[in-house]
Amino acid sequence: MKVTLVSRSGREVVKGGIELEDSATVKDLQETIHARTKKYYPSRQRLTLPAKPGVSARPVVLNPKSKVLDFCEKGNSDNLTVLFKDLGPQVLYSTLFFFEYLGPLVIYPLFYYLPLYKYFGYANTERTIHPVQTYAMYYWCLHYSKRILETFFVHRFSHATSPLSNVFRNCLYYWTFGAYIAYYVNHPLYTPVSEIQWKIGFAFGLLCQVSNFYCHIILRSLRSPSGNGGYQIPKGFLFNIVTCANYTTEIYQWLGFNIATQTVAGYVFLVVATSIMTNWAMGKNRRLRKLFDGKEGRPKYPRRWLVYCCDGSWPLSDVQCLLNLCGCSVSGFSIVSSMSVQIP
Amino acid sequence: MAGIFSTVKRIYLAIYNWAVFSGWLQVLIFAIKALNESGPAAVYDNVEKPLQLAQTAAILEIIHGLIGLVRSPVSATLPQIGSRLFVTWGILYSFPETRTHVLVSSLVISWSLTEIIRYSFFGMKEALGFTPSWLLWLRYSTFLLLYPTGITSEVGLIYIALPYIKASEKYCFRMPNKWNFSFDYYFASIGVLGIYVPGSPHMYTYMLGQRKKALSKLKAA
Repeated sequence: MKVTLVSRSGREVVKGGIELEDSATVKDLQETIHARTKKYYPSRQRLTLPAKPGVSARPVVLNPKSKVLDFCEKGNSDNLTVLFKDLGPQVLYSTLFFFEYLGPLVIYPLFYYLPLYKYFGYANTERTIHPVQTYAMYYWCLHYSKRILETFFVHRFSHATSPLSNVFRNCLYYWTFGAYIAYYVNHPLYTPVSEIQWKIGFAFGLLCQVSNFYCHIILRSLRSPSGNGGYQIPKGFLFNIVTCANYTTEIYQWLGFNIATQTVAGYVFLVVATSIMTNWAMGKNRRLRKLFDGKEGRPKYPRRWLVYCCDGSWPLSDVQCLLNLCGCSVSGFSIVSSMSVQIP
Repeated sequence: MAGIFSTVKRIYLAIYNWAVFSGWLQVLIFAIKALNESGPAAVYDNVEKPLQLAQTAAILEIIHGLIGLVRSPVSATLPQIGSRLFVTWGILYSFPETRTHVLVSSLVISWSLTEIIRYSFFGMKEALGFTPSWLLWLRYSTFLLLYPTGITSEVGLIYIALPYIKASEKYCFRMPNKWNFSFDYYFASIGVLGIYVPGSPHMYTYMLGQRKKALSKLKAA
């Protein structure tokens, strides 16, 4: 059979088309395209069926495991036109995660160990290191080491690659916030909270980190190593209560860190990270509910809380989620403030 | 019910746009008058009140975008209004030493010309339901010159204000404190200058795209 490969503008990507065996899979097609074009390795290719005129449904993506013949129209098994899109240079997800987490892991201890504050105008300020600052550094480094180890040994990714541009965007986010928080927690004029407060903060944070790790183990077991990376209903532990228990534990883990270290920088990071993860959780919740609608023998995805305090079964507007976010941040702040007042 | 709401919306937007238009018209007239009579150093004192009023009123436009009253994306209006408010209040109002600089004249004229065209354009659309094609052309063409002159004036004024910002310690919040927080206005201003680097091409290309869309519609009509 012959596959004609065209770009969105109608130009033929591979002149003359590609001849394939009838038994060829999409994966074979991708490898042939790579061989013919040299530049477009398989993870860079996005292959879809051309949209039928007048039909505005989402385009059908060619799954690498499927046979090419499956996408042919009935009665026309000799020819297939496939739409090609270049996704741009790709990196492995593990590469992306490694670099974005490496930054905070390295940058934070720099502020703890090196005399950097003289460059910020504090050359003459004496620095006594409070115990909480040392534990904060251990906690932070433990967190990002855990993330790197999980990247290589625990996570099973639904997509193998991510666009290269995400490396710059994500590293900017993690590295900038890492430096921003590290600057304040290790500052020579840092004011620690009471001992009981930081002990509770770190203990709670550690508990959440362990829970988070367990959530990742559960998610891993949902995907077989050779699997198609599809979705299953997460069950067990906190997944019986919340859709994305991994995000919930991650958010509360940062809350623990902030209760212990008490910086505006840390809380700003908490709010931003929470809003990002809430967005992801909403998407995941929607996807799971759509996939597991209870019809045609598929199990029905049960009602679940979204992240920590909104019910995932009714659609939330942006404003409502923002209010929830503010509510939780405010309650976090007020818990901490009241503690600082009562416990001198 | 829906009919009443859209009429009220139109009346409100018409009043809003024409009101702010008249504010900017005042700014331009006073500025030219001052330039003729006294020279660039006197421009600020003559335009201060209408400038502050007209520019600050633009905050309403962010709200209009958020609640869906107008179609403009918040991502385009927020940086523009943010930089305008920063220069108006954070630089010119807070640091009088900058007021006599010649860049104030170029700033005020660039801003007022752009805004006069823009607000009358929207004002006519809301009040009369259409805009004359020459106004549409002006709205989507004058930015080609006025954006660069305006942005250069803004960046220039922030830059010359820097030494005064550093010396004055104004708006700074220092450590140590219970929340382990600090704010340094001098570094923040440098940060704002940094935002202009990706921000200006973003705004300019956004307007170029809008121009293409608008003028091609004109041709088709």
